Amino acid sequence: MLILKLALRNIQRNRRRSLLTVLSMGGGYFLLSLMLSMTEGSYSNMIDLFTRDHTGHVQIHKSNYLDRPSLFKRINNSAALIALIQEDPQVVSVTARIYGPSLAYGKNKTFPANVIGIDPQRESATTYLKKKVNQGVYLSNGMTVNGYFPAMMGKALAKNLHLNVGDELVLISQGVDGSIANDIFEVVAIVGTSESYERMNVYLSLNGMRQFLSMGGQVHELVISLHHHSLAQKFSENLQSTLQQDDLKVSSWQQVEKVFYKSMQLDKKGNYVSMGIIIFIVSIGVLNTVLMGTLERTREFGVLRAIGTQPVGIFKLIMLESLFLSLVSCFSGLLVSLPVNYWLTVEGIAMPQPVDMGGVLFESMRGEISWFTIGVPALVVIGSTLLVSLIPGIRAARISPLQALQAV
Amino acid sequence: MSHVIETKKLCRSFGKEETLVKALSDVNLIIEEGEFTAIIGPSGSGKSTLLQLVGGLDEPTSGDIFLDSKKISQMSGTELSDFRRDHIGFIFQAYNLIPVLSAEENIEYIMLLQNVPAQERSKRVKEILQAVGLQGKENRRPAQLSGGQQQRVAVARAMVSQPRLILADEPTANLDSHTGAALLDMMKQLNEKENMTFVFSTHDPMVMERANRIIKLHDGCIVGDERRSA
Ligand SMILES: Nc1ncnc2c1ncn2[C@@H]1O[C@H](COP(=O)(O)OP(=O)(O)OP(=O)(O)O)[C@@H](O)[C@H]1O
Ligand SMILES: [Mg+2]
Repeated sequence: MLILKLALRNIQRNRRRSLLTVLSMGGGYFLLSLMLSMTEGSYSNMIDLFTRDHTGHVQIHKSNYLDRPSLFKRINNSAALIALIQEDPQVVSVTARIYGPSLAYGKNKTFPANVIGIDPQRESATTYLKKKVNQGVYLSNGMTVNGYFPAMMGKALAKNLHLNVGDELVLISQGVDGSIANDIFEVVAIVGTSESYERMNVYLSLNGMRQFLSMGGQVHELVISLHHHSLAQKFSENLQSTLQQDDLKVSSWQQVEKVFYKSMQLDKKGNYVSMGIIIFIVSIGVLNTVLMGTLERTREFGVLRAIGTQPVGIFKLIMLESLFLSLVSCFSGLLVSLPVNYWLTVEGIAMPQPVDMGGVLFESMRGEISWFTIGVPALVVIGSTLLVSLIPGIRAARISPLQALQAV
Repeated sequence: MSHVIETKKLCRSFGKEETLVKALSDVNLIIEEGEFTAIIGPSGSGKSTLLQLVGGLDEPTSGDIFLDSKKISQMSGTELSDFRRDHIGFIFQAYNLIPVLSAEENIEYIMLLQNVPAQERSKRVKEILQAVGLQGKENRRPAQLSGGQQQRVAVARAMVSQPRLILADEPTANLDSHTGAALLDMMKQLNEKENMTFVFSTHDPMVMERANRIIKLHDGCIVGDERRSA
């Protein structure tokens, strides 16, 4: 108790110096928290956009499908799986997809196309696909009035093939039985822009796709959307172990979008370097303050030691003073950073020009307020302050009372 | 009657070879309970060194020191800390007090180190403040007290946990003669009332007037030891 009192009063002793220290440490907290908030927020925003665009948060395939996709690596019991997954309260929706790279033919031109069979209802609950329809109407399960299966096309492909809503589209591919698959479809919608992810895609209903490729009830991919992308890793690990099927691989978006994830991690590491530099600069200031504060009190420590205080007591006193200073600093840093971060989270900073990443457009940088962006800067500031105070603390504790008393 | 302090062939030297200074050589000394002893001698004669050794602030080069027949000359650092806390009261020439603590808190500090219960602490603080004539000033910080009042607080702090021995190194050197005399009279009273043992080092004739034993040091050796009934 007394040591607490002593520490608190010692801080108030040289108010100007304490205030300057609090300002620099609080500024350090503010900068760290701002940087973390911006990187976390921007990436979170980015992840959110592209996972909701098409990737989803978790995917299930036949093992090894992601590395070497093949028409023949198919999931058999998809309906039962979907029902099972849907039961989890973390799950927003699940949808199935079939992939069949094909040749698309229209108005005398041929282009390779990525043909994807989807469940129209489930897909629209899982990704933004339905929102991206900019001409015509969204895919349905049945046939068109003309007796064809409906198809949606990416903008670039439609342009290349000179096709419009209402036109006929011919697709040629390989059926699962080895036969040549070929069918006529009716274009019911154009989706996305000529740069977006689906620019060269063709979407069919699962029925249409199965008929086209002469396949049964199997699918290539299950896509799961969760309440938040941060749940993905844990969820996929749990699901993998509950499935108990060695030939199925559950992958989180981090595994599906490996390249993006790695470059993001690298970018974050770069950020840690600049945070390290900030903390280094702040720490030097703190070291200076604490050293000065202990040197000028040498005689006082001598008196404390002479009347029976153990060296540990002196050490504790100095550490406690630093702890108080850093707590006050974090608190004042928090007071300033919270409103700023809140504004960044809600409003964001509009980018001078939207950045296109893998076909998804990012229009603003955003902040994020979380325990991570509040707590990590606090831990770093408090930790580095205590670390830096170890040196003066040990010095002061080790000085002999006699020497200290002779220093005036 | 028990010896509070006994030194046997106590030596303390500083430096090496050419720069060797023998601050104390072969000091044999016995201090009895209730004595009010002044150690005098010219500057550099070893007065402070002797007090520091006896108080467990310094370690002898050779020889032994006993407090109540307990050998302190071979105690470890932490043992010495506790020894000082429990058995020795120190009063220095000046700057004795912790500036951020009030008079009361400065006095209370040692009892807190000793884990004395709160009620007992405040009772004793009150008594001792009364005894040194500082009632009403308990909440003042050292900077708000005069030099003489500060030394009274230092005396109070040195006495409050009732140590076996109070060591005072030139306690009146920074005070004017009037204030110094008052402080000494107060200590003399406490010495007589509580039978508390005091050892001073001093150049101050006022201290010598009040002492009942005067030990004369010269170049680290005892050259005179005079008892008188004051
Ligand atoms: N830490 C030290 N290092 C070297 N020499 C020392 C040290 N402390 C004391 N001395 C020497 O020991 C001798 C005795 O010093 P001491 O301080 O005990 O004298 P003193 O009698 O208290 O003098 P004064 O009346 O000036 O206070 C002196 O010659 C002094 O220079
Ligand atoms: Mg001296």
